[in-house]
Amino acid sequence: MLELAIGIILGCCALGAGMAMIAGIGPGIGEGNAVARACEAIGRQPEAKGSITSTLFVGCAIAETTGLYALVIAILLIFVAPDMLVNILTSTLG
Amino acid sequence: MKKVDKTVIKETKFVAMWVIIFSALMQAVFLIINKWDYTVLLGNLLSGFCGVLSFFVLGLTIIKAISSGDTAYAKKMMRASQALRTFLMLAACLAGALAPCFNIWATVIPVMFPRLSLLIRSFTVKQMGPFDTSAAETAHATEITEAEPTDDKKEVDRVE
Repeated sequence: MLELAIGIILGCCALGAGMAMIAGIGPGIGEGNAVARACEAIGRQPEAKGSITSTLFVGCAIAETTGLYALVIAILLIFVAPDMLVNILTSTLG
Repeated sequence: MKKVDKTVIKETKFVAMWVIIFSALMQAVFLIINKWDYTVLLGNLLSGFCGVLSFFVLGLTIIKAISSGDTAYAKKMMRASQALRTFLMLAACLAGALAPCFNIWATVIPVMFPRLSLLIRSFTVKQMGPFDTSAAETAHATEITEAEPTDDKKEVDRVE
């Protein structure tokens, strides 16, 4: 029974990590769109290139945060959570 | 060697400075809770360096994508760059998790530091003034002034 519970915990952690990494898709698409629009904006208004670049720079970095959070959560779910949860389980069951 | 854009250097310097400050704070917290050893320092160095490097590469990619002027190419370049940077951070986190010389918490937490520094930048934006939109606003205002008169204005002119 304990082995089954540990197996379920490990499986759920792996599933959770995989699902968390779905969030890694979004920032790439978003950054691509933002830079494409910035190219168009600079084409229309070349004198605003400096401010557009600066804003885009910070915006892209912030957009990427989502992907990094997902990465961190996935890493923690794979390497930290299983040990912690199994310890809690074994200590609870005695 | 090609010269790096000054905006990229400026932003990267700002982020690197705050990453160092946050790293020092994190080391202090580890010291206070009595969990500090050399693995904490090494993990912090690894992921702090990778975070700043990732930010620098992001800046270089943006400058290159913008100067290309082609929207489709810029989109592809940003997606490829984002995937590569995520792999870089993944490699750093995996090294921190698997190698015994790195503390996993000290490796994972500094991944957030560049983003925290950007959050601080958004608060200090008025003091530092990186988003100087005055040129763009002036140009936009000039464009509006020089544009064709609206229907209402035409109507007023006709009545007069």
